[in-house]
Amino acid sequence: MAGPSSTSSDVSPAVEQAGAPISEAEAIERLRQNEDPSQQYYGAWWLGRMRSQHPEAVPLLRLALRQRRPRDLGAGVEENAVARNAARALGKLAPLALEAVNDLLEVLEDPDDGLREAAARALGELRAEEAVEPICRRLASGPQQAGAQRPGTPRLMEPCEALLEALGDIGMASEPVLAVVEPFVDHERPLIRSAAARALLQLSGEERWGTVLVELLEHPQLQVRRAALMDLGAAGWRPALEPICRTLAENSLKLMALRGLVEQGSGEPGEPALLACMDELL
Amino acid sequence: MGERSAAVGHPVDLEALVAAVRSADSSAALVSAARSLAASGEPAAAPVLVEVLGFNNPGAAVAAVDGLIRLQGAAVEPLLRLDPQNYGARAWAVRALAGIGDVRGLTLLVDALGSDVAASVRRAAAKGLGGLRLQHLEPSQRLDIQACCLEALLAATDDGEWVVRYAVAVALESLARGLDGGGESLQQPLLQGLRSLSAAAAGNPPVVQLRARLALAGLDPCAVEP
Repeated sequence: MAGPSSTSSDVSPAVEQAGAPISEAEAIERLRQNEDPSQQYYGAWWLGRMRSQHPEAVPLLRLALRQRRPRDLGAGVEENAVARNAARALGKLAPLALEAVNDLLEVLEDPDDGLREAAARALGELRAEEAVEPICRRLASGPQQAGAQRPGTPRLMEPCEALLEALGDIGMASEPVLAVVEPFVDHERPLIRSAAARALLQLSGEERWGTVLVELLEHPQLQVRRAALMDLGAAGWRPALEPICRTLAENSLKLMALRGLVEQGSGEPGEPALLACMDELL
Repeated sequence: MGERSAAVGHPVDLEALVAAVRSADSSAALVSAARSLAASGEPAAAPVLVEVLGFNNPGAAVAAVDGLIRLQGAAVEPLLRLDPQNYGARAWAVRALAGIGDVRGLTLLVDALGSDVAASVRRAAAKGLGGLRLQHLEPSQRLDIQACCLEALLAATDDGEWVVRYAVAVALESLARGLDGGGESLQQPLLQGLRSLSAAAAGNPPVVQLRARLALAGLDPCAVEP
């Protein structure tokens, strides 16, 4: 938790301005101008965060999405950062953003895997069924190739976590989709295993995938326990209630997971039991 | 320390427990020392447990909060003496004061709910404002404090974070249960606050609506739409 005293002299403009509240009109203007990418970056973030319904929001975000080029990490807020934030924002602007699905599908083929990741998440949030085929194509080579580590970086060849989660969110439970996802339950990285089990649980509702996630709640790494909490919440897997309450993690994350159980799940334990556990965690 | 005689009736060696906290040379050692000190139940441990809140070690802070809550009233003054600039420690102190429920924490809880930047702190403060222990107070004083809690909670019904609004719903319910004959004037605004939390407004997720409706159903069965 950073205190107010942590401001240092080298904060980027985007971070600095994030502190000052701005209006929707101001966010639109910041995104529209093209002199200062850091202003566009912030404008795009703001429109998504506030779930703007402004008629110009989606058209401007689509324009920003086209503003990409090979990554140039030396150039302050690199231009792809604007496109990345535009993709993230579009994911939060359903149903207006449905007209941007084709643009996002294009970004899913970009050489920049950070952009592919943002596009996949947005397509998942928009429940874009058109994305299932291209996402499956990216994952089809399996954990050994799509899921292999990119030499010289900690990243994988494909943004597997985002691609798997998008398939689960979109919810098309066909045999070929399940066959693409299933091998990733054995990926060497626990976060990928968690994402795959989450997608399979959402798609099939089979208990065995819920069990994989519940076991990950006891993983020695906090980061993995947090991911499993979020994944159980996204899948609304109510049998995980007791294990979630016992997990060694922040109450904030357990509350988010339990909210998912209430809102995405059904069956036993029922809502009174879920809410009683949430009350205890406040 | 492991000897049986030490466990029965002998005073705990507070100095040793405190020394263990001060000399801990690893994160794990600090957590363990804080747990032992928290478990001592010694009122004199309170100021040291409050110090632990500022050590930037979440495991140790959780143990210290538990210990402070166990000490109840004895922990309140040291908690209130914390430097407001010490943000990390103050966030934990809000949780401790919310758990203790001592009325002396009122101002700090109201400030935290209204202005803390962290949703987790506002959430704890809201819950605390619903759970102050007021039974021992004069009726008029009790009513003043309930009115103050209600005002702060109603102001937070439009907090930007769902989890804070959820906590406000829980707190309003428990505040309502503590109202007696004198608190009738507070009843209607309180129910109105719960009704606004139960509304299917944009940005108000189903879980908050559900929790507010559950509270309304328990308090005022006529107030809930089927």
